[in-house]
Amino acid sequence: MEYILKNGIVYDPTHNVAGDKKDVMIKDGKIVDNVSSDAKVLDVTDKLVMAAGVDVHAHIAGPKLCLGRLYRPEDSRAGLVAKTDITRAETGFSIPSCSATGYRYSRMGYGTVTEAAVPPLEAKHTHEEIMAIPNIDVSPLALFGNNWFVLQFVKANDLEGLAAFVAAWLKLSKCYGMKVVNPCGSEAWGWGMNVHGIDDPAPHWDVTGREVVRALTQVNEMLGLPHSMHVHPNDLGHPGNYPTTIGTLDAVKDIKKNPNVIRDQTIHCTHLQFHCYGGTSWRDAKSGAAPVADYINKNKHVTCDVGQVTFDETTTMTADAPMEYDLYKLSGLKWANKDIELETAAGLIPIIYSPKAPVNALQWAIGLELFLMINDPWQVVLTTDSPNAGPFIRYPRIMSWLMSSDRRTEMLENEVHKWATKRTDLASLDRVYDWNDIATVTRSAPAKILGLEQRGHLGVGANADVAVYDIEPENFDATKASNASVIEDVMGRAAYTIKDGEIVVKDGKIVKVVPSRHMWTNVTGFEEQEKKVLEDIMPMFNRYYTIKFENYKVFDHYIDPAIEFKIDAGK
Amino acid sequence: MKTITLTLKKFSSIALEFEELIPDTIYNWSKEDFENYQVPVGNSKFPLTNYFDIEVEGDAEGPEDVKMILDGDMSRVKYIGYRMTAGEIIVNGDADLQAGAEMIGGSLKINGNAESYVGREMRGGSIEVMGNVREYCGTSYIGEWRGMSGGIIKVHGNAGKQLADCMSGGEIYIGGSCDILAGIHMTKGYIEIGGDVTRWPGGQMKNGAIVIKGKLSSLLEGFENEGIFVDPDIEGKQLTGKYIKYKGDIGVNGKGSLWLNAEKNRNLL
Ligand SMILES: [Zn+2]
Repeated sequence: MEYILKNGIVYDPTHNVAGDKKDVMIKDGKIVDNVSSDAKVLDVTDKLVMAAGVDVHAHIAGPKLCLGRLYRPEDSRAGLVAKTDITRAETGFSIPSCSATGYRYSRMGYGTVTEAAVPPLEAKHTHEEIMAIPNIDVSPLALFGNNWFVLQFVKANDLEGLAAFVAAWLKLSKCYGMKVVNPCGSEAWGWGMNVHGIDDPAPHWDVTGREVVRALTQVNEMLGLPHSMHVHPNDLGHPGNYPTTIGTLDAVKDIKKNPNVIRDQTIHCTHLQFHCYGGTSWRDAKSGAAPVADYINKNKHVTCDVGQVTFDETTTMTADAPMEYDLYKLSGLKWANKDIELETAAGLIPIIYSPKAPVNALQWAIGLELFLMINDPWQVVLTTDSPNAGPFIRYPRIMSWLMSSDRRTEMLENEVHKWATKRTDLASLDRVYDWNDIATVTRSAPAKILGLEQRGHLGVGANADVAVYDIEPENFDATKASNASVIEDVMGRAAYTIKDGEIVVKDGKIVKVVPSRHMWTNVTGFEEQEKKVLEDIMPMFNRYYTIKFENYKVFDHYIDPAIEFKIDAGK
Repeated sequence: MKTITLTLKKFSSIALEFEELIPDTIYNWSKEDFENYQVPVGNSKFPLTNYFDIEVEGDAEGPEDVKMILDGDMSRVKYIGYRMTAGEIIVNGDADLQAGAEMIGGSLKINGNAESYVGREMRGGSIEVMGNVREYCGTSYIGEWRGMSGGIIKVHGNAGKQLADCMSGGEIYIGGSCDILAGIHMTKGYIEIGGDVTRWPGGQMKNGAIVIKGKLSSLLEGFENEGIFVDPDIEGKQLTGKYIKYKGDIGVNGKGSLWLNAEKNRNLL
């Protein structure tokens, strides 16, 4: 099938196309520069055209989601949509049903989403849920930061062994890249403890977060994985945590990037908002965004996503179990814990972010400060750490905040607690994002950061993942506060979402359902070392895991259809 | 005043759902509108006239002018009075699940027994049940920690398990006996039980008051005896007789009060 999207206003930051009126041509699922006369013409005259969105960090599939749905049936009754001839019924607000997750991303014009925290032990379950999520390709990241084998290799300072282990474990779990969550802290939680800062060792291991992040980052570059180290640093959500954040980023500064990757960074810091707090307690907490943004502005080895608070009742879920327990102690709401044997520990608790609550207003303002203080939009990605700071369906609302300082002023003056004004610099930031910046932080930058060459742009050869929005950028003043609701509305229901050259959304409605592909990285060139490592660790595996190794692996039928990223690590 | 009478002519073993048939939506409906209406039944919809004879008399300016009378066995009719804000519904028979759930105002009277979830998450108005109710009367939705916040539920018969789970306001009166865990997780409000109670009222209650006029078989450990009071005034209600007062649930630092009729609970004196 061939399409030609005619006369749209195109934003493609990868190719320095910023609001040019031009056609986008599609053939056989790819962007091309020429189509035959049989091509179907889609008249998108003067409408906003971008590559489909790419989410660098969200929680959409796996055991935490399942636990959340079981634990929060009251969330399921929000967001009810009846089934249609094409779609299944939808349920849920912060933890939508699997099919609803796919439809909702698709309606926003997104085509790729990273599932940010897969415990390898539960990778099968994660892939099962991805099979039930339509219309978005998913790049799952496996958790390594509290894995016993990783801690063992780090302690022995055996990088070669660690690299082989990571290569083997990505194959076993069929994951795309590596994720580290509160390194050593979630392991400490097994003893009812946490670690504080990057130099506090995990009990009984005598290994620190700094050592784990450094070793895994070195291995990531040694193997040349498409995505970089993706880290949720220690001390999440604690007042005074920003030095830990900067310390974590600085700990890998000297590590050389693999020459074969398309990304610029060696470390991606996720949901940075939760890691930029000053003060010493919630009494005197204040923003720590400025020093962190300053560090990022000076250091190109770092990228981040924000984890913007959206003022919703949502669900927090993370492999940072001790943090979830702290949150439970603060809010008293129902709390669930999930231990993942030798790998990690997760927690879950509902949360209500209120604009009138001082702490929540502060968090909201810090998120926006980061967007506005980090100069290069290629270093910052729009996320809510969905559902932790808010559900992903709020992305269009965040765009409206970024595009209008008048709207932000209106909120600071009338809607949010004064801590947002008094304890942050948000009120003094009048920078606004234009459509090019929006395209950068929602598609081009995340695709590049993930190392996805064929996504996030509209160059020839790219996947034909395209979004068209029912707004005319040339006849619309996005800086006007009163237009914020218009932005939220149109960016939430794409006029067209095209996935691999097929129209899946038209006029905000799902018109076609296609299976999501499972993206995974196959490291080659380490086979001998992998074999040896597996032999070496098998006694410990057999002794401590509750399942047999034969049943641990994700079999191929769990990842159909798949996209394999073959990496030659010997190169 | 508009009187709408639905008289059951065919009983469906698969439940009918009445959430749309509340005064708020039907106050300006004519007889023809009812005859054209398709009522949800299971996963399908069928004409209301398959199941009911319909009579409509008089006119209404708004829901407050409506009186709905449901004649017959409604034990397979769910969601009667769901989310109603005004007007009156009278059920001359039993009612199925969720009667008066999420009710905001107006009144619902059931001249029979009701199934579970009567007055779930009720915010206002009044419900009166002449017979018994099953489990979860006046509770929250499953998983939800915010329950009934206002209004009055009066049950002349007995109540089942987990009455008023997570109650945060309003009043509940049970004439007869009550099963386990009445007022569990409650944070505010008033519960009065005329008859005997099996076990564990007030588990994890933070505040509010529970009065038991009959005999309690088993009290939770988290309640501290605060002495005996004669003719106590509890949240503005004047009771007569001697009551043993407990404070709890101390397991959650609760400041709720549990009052047991001293004569009927001499074993605790
Ligand atoms: Zn996350």
